[in-house]
Amino acid sequence: MSGQRARQTAGIPRRTFLKAAAGTAALTGIPGILAAGQAPAYAKGTKLHYLMQLHFVPATDKVFMDQAAEFGKQMGVEIQVERIGQNDVPTRAAAAVEMKSGPDLIQIQNNFPHLLADGAVDVGDIAEAIGKAQGGYYDLPKANAFSAGRWVAVPHDVLSWAWNYRESWLREVGYEKFPDTWEGFREMGKKLKAKGRPVGCAFGHSTNDPNNYCYALTWGFGGYEVEKDGKTVVLDKKGTLEALTLNTAMWKEAMDEGGLSWDDASNNRAFLSGSISVTGNSPSIYPVARDKFPDVYQDMNHAPMPKGPAGRFYQLPTVSVMVMKHCKEPKLAKEFIRYFMAKERYEKWFETADTFAIPPTKIWYDHPVWVKDRKNVVFRDVIKDARWPGYAGPASRKASEAMAKYILVDMYAKAIQGASPAEALKWAAGELRKIYGA
Amino acid sequence: MVAGAWWKRWLCLYLPLAAVVVLTLFPFYYMAVTAVRPDREMYIPWNRPNFAPFWTAHPTLEHFALLFRETLFARWLVNTLLIALGSTAISLFCGLLAAYALARLRFPGGGAMGTGIFVTYLVPQTLLFIPLGEVIRTFRLADSPWALILTYPTFLIPFCTWLMMGYFRTIPRELEECAQIDGATRLQAMVRIVFPVAMPGILSAGIFAFTLSWNEFLYALVFLSSAGQKTIPVGVVSELVRGDTFFWGPLMAGALLGSIPVAFVYSFFVEQYVSAMTGAVKG
Amino acid sequence: MSTPPQETPRAAAPRRGPLRRLRQASRTERREWLFAGCLLLPALTMLALFVAYPFARGIWLSGLDSTLGREGDYVGLRNYVKLWYDSIFRRTAQNTFVYTAIATLLKLALGMAVALMLNMLVSFKRLLRASLLLPWIIPTVLSTLAWKWMFDPTFSILNWIVFHLGFVNARVDWLGGPVAAMVSVVLVNVWRGMPFFAITLLAGLQTISPDIQEAAAIDGANAWQRFWRVTWPLLMPVTMVVMLFSVIQTFADFQLVYILTGGGPANSTHLFATYAYQIGIQTGKLGEGAAASLAMFPFLFLVVIFQLWYIRRGEVR
Repeated sequence: MSGQRARQTAGIPRRTFLKAAAGTAALTGIPGILAAGQAPAYAKGTKLHYLMQLHFVPATDKVFMDQAAEFGKQMGVEIQVERIGQNDVPTRAAAAVEMKSGPDLIQIQNNFPHLLADGAVDVGDIAEAIGKAQGGYYDLPKANAFSAGRWVAVPHDVLSWAWNYRESWLREVGYEKFPDTWEGFREMGKKLKAKGRPVGCAFGHSTNDPNNYCYALTWGFGGYEVEKDGKTVVLDKKGTLEALTLNTAMWKEAMDEGGLSWDDASNNRAFLSGSISVTGNSPSIYPVARDKFPDVYQDMNHAPMPKGPAGRFYQLPTVSVMVMKHCKEPKLAKEFIRYFMAKERYEKWFETADTFAIPPTKIWYDHPVWVKDRKNVVFRDVIKDARWPGYAGPASRKASEAMAKYILVDMYAKAIQGASPAEALKWAAGELRKIYGA
Repeated sequence: MVAGAWWKRWLCLYLPLAAVVVLTLFPFYYMAVTAVRPDREMYIPWNRPNFAPFWTAHPTLEHFALLFRETLFARWLVNTLLIALGSTAISLFCGLLAAYALARLRFPGGGAMGTGIFVTYLVPQTLLFIPLGEVIRTFRLADSPWALILTYPTFLIPFCTWLMMGYFRTIPRELEECAQIDGATRLQAMVRIVFPVAMPGILSAGIFAFTLSWNEFLYALVFLSSAGQKTIPVGVVSELVRGDTFFWGPLMAGALLGSIPVAFVYSFFVEQYVSAMTGAVKG
Repeated sequence: MSTPPQETPRAAAPRRGPLRRLRQASRTERREWLFAGCLLLPALTMLALFVAYPFARGIWLSGLDSTLGREGDYVGLRNYVKLWYDSIFRRTAQNTFVYTAIATLLKLALGMAVALMLNMLVSFKRLLRASLLLPWIIPTVLSTLAWKWMFDPTFSILNWIVFHLGFVNARVDWLGGPVAAMVSVVLVNVWRGMPFFAITLLAGLQTISPDIQEAAAIDGANAWQRFWRVTWPLLMPVTMVVMLFSVIQTFADFQLVYILTGGGPANSTHLFATYAYQIGIQTGKLGEGAAASLAMFPFLFLVVIFQLWYIRRGEVR
């Protein structure tokens, strides 16, 4: 065994090490080669180019880059990690698929793997192996990485999401607990807005928050884009209409009326500044408050999505890793994924993300990171009720298209802007029929 | 000219001009304030009494420091400069010659060719960057400054050509005809007589071409991938817009540092040169 | 700007085909052609190398039902037909025309006014000219982000200003309503594009001899008449070229809308370029995206043909 590896084990806590040992046993392949101290069989100058979005929690990027460098050193190859803004990843990915060159691995959000499936290598072997070793996948991350009968990406993580609220401000209007139903939510919002501290919801063209809210609300009232067959559009049913009517009423009664132009970042700022008392978000507000806004930090808490007549649902952004077809070393690329998804290394990354990221597999449910801070406990359960765009049908290219065109978000926005709910619904259902009918 | 009473001059000239300047420069002022504003003061809603619109209580340089410490800003600045200079030089050279031919020489198909060059300016970038990427790959230019130095001329050449055609047409033909009578060849007349006279036009086309390549985002995003190769617009956005948390301070600092040097160079060097040249010609 | 009388190529060779002309050409004519060819060669080479293929490929793609990574089959004009019946696309087309028309006219009016005022100015001219150029120099992505920050519903400095000036008594949601969002997007475009007009027109103004103005003044024309009868016609060639570039850039604008609104709220600010991007890249339908992005070509082409015709007409006169 090389000294390198000894140093590595010395640096990590005992519990982690035990898990690491278990991981090595479960995943044969590279770890075995490393342990045996064999020389890696890659030509000098071999390079892997990994494209990812800047993580919302900067510290996680550091962990990942270190791991990538370590892997490169062990295998005698160069790993180039390129980080760009979230919104620019699809552009680069599309260019890479069409040009058949560029990044060898691409970490991409949501259901994009469905759109890019033709440019991606089948990664079923490692996806299955990781799932098997780590307690199986949750439905959502699998749905977004598994397209037309094959794994086109390896799920990496799911962004958690819950309601952020100011405890003292809720108490002032008579709420000790965050309401558990949409009706209760509406009542609470009314009282809060009367005090000049409304609920903040985004309805702009922005990937995360608007979609997270609109899909979840629709599902909560039993509204679905399509039937299980993934073909018959059933959006224009009673459930969606109820959700739409409720939201339109809440807009006036309970919400901050700047939300039409909000993007993913607007509600963070509004909440931190104290101009709204409730907003749905990933835990990216909380750490910022901890560092820079102590009074907000003391006072805030997180709560789950209210229940609708059909139950409690979440739409969550996911992140998956694709190996591109133009990659000259697909085996090496897969080994790289296997390397950073291996329990001991993934754990370090996931701990650093500090409840921001939910692992795609079930083994992490009891991890201490979830209970480290009582206010973050809620984030571990959201994944259980998460569905994918296109639900109740399967995740698909068409469902991705509907989401990318913001059909659902725009439906709510139209109703807010003055169209009658029925009208807005008719428009949205019509657009969906065009997408699913084609 | 606005003749007459002093108040008329104020009302028709100084006041409106001042208003325009204030409105134009206000965003820059606000960027500057934001760039030196500590994060704690950044998030104060506009309707709070302690909202400080035009100043900041505790100015800080930490955002600038972060820009240079944690990003490769200085490197991006140099890259952007080299790429903009290179592509502007190529475009000016090609555009200058083409414009002269189209504006001055008589040859069959000249009009159609002028229109043809112009039409390439219409090629929509938003999607056709993908096939252009294939060209880049074929020439093995990806992830090198040459990818941009050679592709920016696709929209700069039509621009320069047409702008300079306009300027050439304002120069009297007699000027070069005289030179030719004195024994100069057509080429000599063009280089020695026409180009110097057209210098203000050439420079202004150059300045606009330079700023267009300085600003470009999409090609720079798609064709470059190493952090050390990027340009200012792409680099700043890639490093400082993190999903739902924007780093407003450093972003604004980057925006300022990415534009003010150019304006500075422009006002102190190029303008001097242009006015000197114009003066010489007119004088 | 006085244009010396000159013959256009067409006027020089009436009713002769190029081939015929080639054969009948004199030696000097041929030398001139050769010289022209040499001068045009670099520009044409660059354009042929880098534009010809993407353009041809784009047109071809718009006739395929290709998605990312899959070439697809030839479907004729079906992509265009689909766009024609697409409610969002219709909205997009309408937005683009409104956006281009209003923004260009505002830029022209403001730019002209600023150029006239600067031209009258005696001191500070150089300083003002340089500082007015700033919005044009700053990378669009970054200035648009700054505007986004200024439009933020919660932190908007603009809200503070209009509120304290007494124009409104509640906040303005700059990017929220369909009309407000369009107004805001136009505002940013005008802010960004006006300097190009002002400075180019100023350069044009400086070539107009003051004598002409004085002569008109002596003839009893007031300032308004002098502008419309003397300055405006003389400035026309420059104005047309500037308009030409501005219309094209505004029509094909992408970054500004993409960053400020992403086409929202409810598609009320989508432009051809942003919608084409949404279809082609974000939903992966490359063929349809190419069609959407080329759909603006005929409109642009008409505008260009008209303006080029106008510019040439002015020259012949």
